[in-house]
Amino acid sequence: MEKVLLIIPAYNEEDNILNTYNSIINYNKKSKVKYDVIVINDCSTDCTSEICHKNKIPVIDLIHNLGIGGAVQTGYKYAKENDYDIAVQFDGDGQHDIRYVKDIITPVIKNEADMVIGSRFITNIDTFKSTFARRIGIKVISVFMKFATGKKIYDTTSGFRACNKKIIEDFSLSYPNEYPEPITTAELLKKKYTIKEIPVEMKEREAGTSSIKTWKNIYYMLNVTIALLMIKIRRYKKCQ
Amino acid sequence: MPISLTITLIAVALFLIILTTCILKKGRISEKYAILWYSVSLILLLVAIFPNIFIVISKKLGFDVMSSLIIGIFIGILLLLVMAQTVMIAGQKKKTILLIQEVSLLKKELDNIKGKKS
Repeated sequence: MEKVLLIIPAYNEEDNILNTYNSIINYNKKSKVKYDVIVINDCSTDCTSEICHKNKIPVIDLIHNLGIGGAVQTGYKYAKENDYDIAVQFDGDGQHDIRYVKDIITPVIKNEADMVIGSRFITNIDTFKSTFARRIGIKVISVFMKFATGKKIYDTTSGFRACNKKIIEDFSLSYPNEYPEPITTAELLKKKYTIKEIPVEMKEREAGTSSIKTWKNIYYMLNVTIALLMIKIRRYKKCQ
Repeated sequence: MPISLTITLIAVALFLIILTTCILKKGRISEKYAILWYSVSLILLLVAIFPNIFIVISKKLGFDVMSSLIIGIFIGILLLLVMAQTVMIAGQKKKTILLIQEVSLLKKELDNIKGKKS
């Protein structure tokens, strides 16, 4: 059976982290699966670390705040060191539903894809699909992604993703610190990895505020667009 | 060129040379950057001592006055310097991230080992 690791980056998630962990443990018991968990505490200033240690949640406490990319990459490094077959990025804020992990890892197990993205936009299920402005942003990134890589990805900013050993290795070597989701997806496509999108439902954040604040959206779009254009002209070594 | 300007230029050049030497002596900049600042001082000295060469060059390049050429050269040097530093900062950031990750992973491993022992 494949060793599966859920990487949970957490920054000031004291209100959500225990619920998220418990939902995974309960699901493991109920469905007779064994998804391991590693929380990457990105130097939170609240009680995230204390809650993890008190409840015996496996956690890596980063000694300095790195931002989302650096935190997630630490998870991939941990996955590589501990020889995991599949790594799943899973949000610590209660947005992702543990029941969908099975759906997104199945194509990886069956070797149908190197990476699977849990997508909000290829389903008709009436679910939380982000705000209007952000949906437009995601669409624009999708257009640029098609231009840069020739492939259409619908949910370009989804942080709910599963990947195989090859990509774990790839990510542990290099992972962008800012805007990692669209950038890594485009880079993987250029390296000729197979990426599949699977419909998932996402919930609204249970507490706290999202790291992408409204006023940062335009700046975010500008950066991602430039990054994608660079990916378009950059040459990549194809995966084996 | 008026004599007062010549004196000012020489004074600024000497000040830069002394300042760079002091900072370099304390080991607060690398030789690489010291060379750059020495070169800037040298250009200033050359302008002060041989203004005619620069007057000819600035006329050839279409500058109305020599001072525009000098300012242009310095803006160019500063832009390149800022660009080089931006590259350096990005490199340093990558190294810092790597260090933080490795130390944090090691700490986790150490905790695991300690946990197993106790």
